[in-house]
Amino acid sequence: MKYALRRILVTFPLLLAVSLVVFALTDALPGDAADMRFEKHPAAKEQWRAERGLDDPFVVRWLRYVGGVVTRFDLDRSYLDDEPVGPELSIKLQATFELTACALFLAILIGITVGILSAVFPRSPVDYAANLLALCGISIPVFWLGMMLIVLAVNVFDFGFSSNRYDPDLDVGGFATHLFLLESLVRLRFDVFLSCARNLLLPSLALSTIPMAVITRMTRSSMLEEMGKDYATTARAKGLPATRVVLRHILRNALIPILTITGLQFGQLMGGAVLTESVFSWPGLGRYIVDNGVEARDTPVIVGGILLVATMFVLVNLLVDLLYAVIDPRIRRGT
Amino acid sequence: MSRRWKVFRRNRMALLGAVIVGAMVLTALGAAWIATHDPETRTESFRTPPDSAHWLGTDENGFDVFSRVVYGARASLVTAVSAVGFALLFGVPLGLLAGWHGGWTDGTIMRLVDVMLAFPSILLAVAIAAALGEASLTTVILAVGVVRVPLFIRQVRAAVLQVKSQEYVTAAQALGAGHTRILLRTVLPNCIAPILVLATLSTGIAILDAAGLSFLGLGPPETSPEWGVMLTKARVYIQHDYQWMLLPPGLAISLTVLGFNLLGDGLRDAYDPRQSR
Repeated sequence: MKYALRRILVTFPLLLAVSLVVFALTDALPGDAADMRFEKHPAAKEQWRAERGLDDPFVVRWLRYVGGVVTRFDLDRSYLDDEPVGPELSIKLQATFELTACALFLAILIGITVGILSAVFPRSPVDYAANLLALCGISIPVFWLGMMLIVLAVNVFDFGFSSNRYDPDLDVGGFATHLFLLESLVRLRFDVFLSCARNLLLPSLALSTIPMAVITRMTRSSMLEEMGKDYATTARAKGLPATRVVLRHILRNALIPILTITGLQFGQLMGGAVLTESVFSWPGLGRYIVDNGVEARDTPVIVGGILLVATMFVLVNLLVDLLYAVIDPRIRRGT
Repeated sequence: MSRRWKVFRRNRMALLGAVIVGAMVLTALGAAWIATHDPETRTESFRTPPDSAHWLGTDENGFDVFSRVVYGARASLVTAVSAVGFALLFGVPLGLLAGWHGGWTDGTIMRLVDVMLAFPSILLAVAIAAALGEASLTTVILAVGVVRVPLFIRQVRAAVLQVKSQEYVTAAQALGAGHTRILLRTVLPNCIAPILVLATLSTGIAILDAAGLSFLGLGPPETSPEWGVMLTKARVYIQHDYQWMLLPPGLAISLTVLGFNLLGDGLRDAYDPRQSR
């Protein structure tokens, strides 16, 4: 309990520091969206800057921003039209979350299965093939793979998909969230689910290659290490079936390093999705940050967007650390 | 050394990696001799398929694709090696300091590392590239380099902590050697192996990150012979008849990164058999 509490408390100063870094980075941005907006009215720009408090010292602006986020979940307003950027960022975050979750699901499913097979049959064709694929997975640029998948899908498989999240003809009026894949399942709207799944398939496949490669390698080495230990020999010597030994005894102990690497990959994916989103024109957070934030120099979009992704990353790693304690009591006791 | 070389030499995959990396370095160095055309001079033909004059065809600007791929090796390697050099320049001294000094120095440096690692690396690179303003190769180098610094700090610190308690360090201290001397003469040489492995693997990742930033439009200008830029241009033709334009730059990036990954894995196996995959 003490471990969990300490681990949770450390998260707050970390997030504060993260917001400071993002704020400082965007403060250095040469010019902003308002330059264009008030191109012909320099006087109006001065007035607008004064109203928004943009001429205040850096520390004042940062504290005001953090205050707004903490007390009102307010991520500031756009420099383009003074509309709050929070709602749009939240929609994009949900799109990216769904894409990332699907990619990670594929990566875990295939990565752990192949990793186990490689460890159980070392130096077999399966092992060599898995190793080769894992090497390709970490060597091929995601955005190139995405484009090749599009070319393949369109020319060879005649697989139709669009860059929308679902078929625009479908009615999703009653949906409470923008996690369409999940919510359509809960609401038993299989038409929406299939449409979403179809559009998600290629981007999540492209995005899953790196984590899949990493998880496969980690599973293999972690399983191999555990297999040589005494308890595994004991279990086999007792005459337990091989499958049971591998899945119930060895896998359970091999799971901790796999879990760590998966948590780290999830965070990297949330950000790394920006390339996949760009290739597939997927309306996600990364692409929104680059197109509407960096390209248009709309600072609040950049700050808010990166802060959201970093917060997710930090929270997922916190969750993984807490999960360890559940799996491994030694960590709980801090020994 | 000879034992490690033996382990390394017997590892065929690592040798393959070394050959790929070597070939890429030679291509980068000899780009002017290998390329059949100037990569930034327009030729008479546009979007032609491969033939005897243009081995990989020409693009929509009339540039010779083969020559651009060849010069792209130079751009990619220069970017990646400079970025990793930057990461080494800041990461190694800070890691040495954190590991050796301990206490509040260690605490401060490691909290900084924690903050930097709280960002997904590509997104942090995008933010840094945006903050630097002008989209250029230098911007990409800095963005990709900064992102890698915390990884080097962490690796070097861990290595120092391991070496610190060894008897030869105590011996050097007993002989009255100063801090700087012990760090540079005794500790650093014994940390070279993990640094070398990380640097090799990082070069591959830096190539990927740099190509990604170019692809997002944060890199060098559209006409420069760079693999990420070439892919951005080829992307426009995904749904048309020039899809083969995707292949040369994409394969070049993948092959180069594969080379660095194989080499890095091989070096790790040679230096530390316990950690082998």
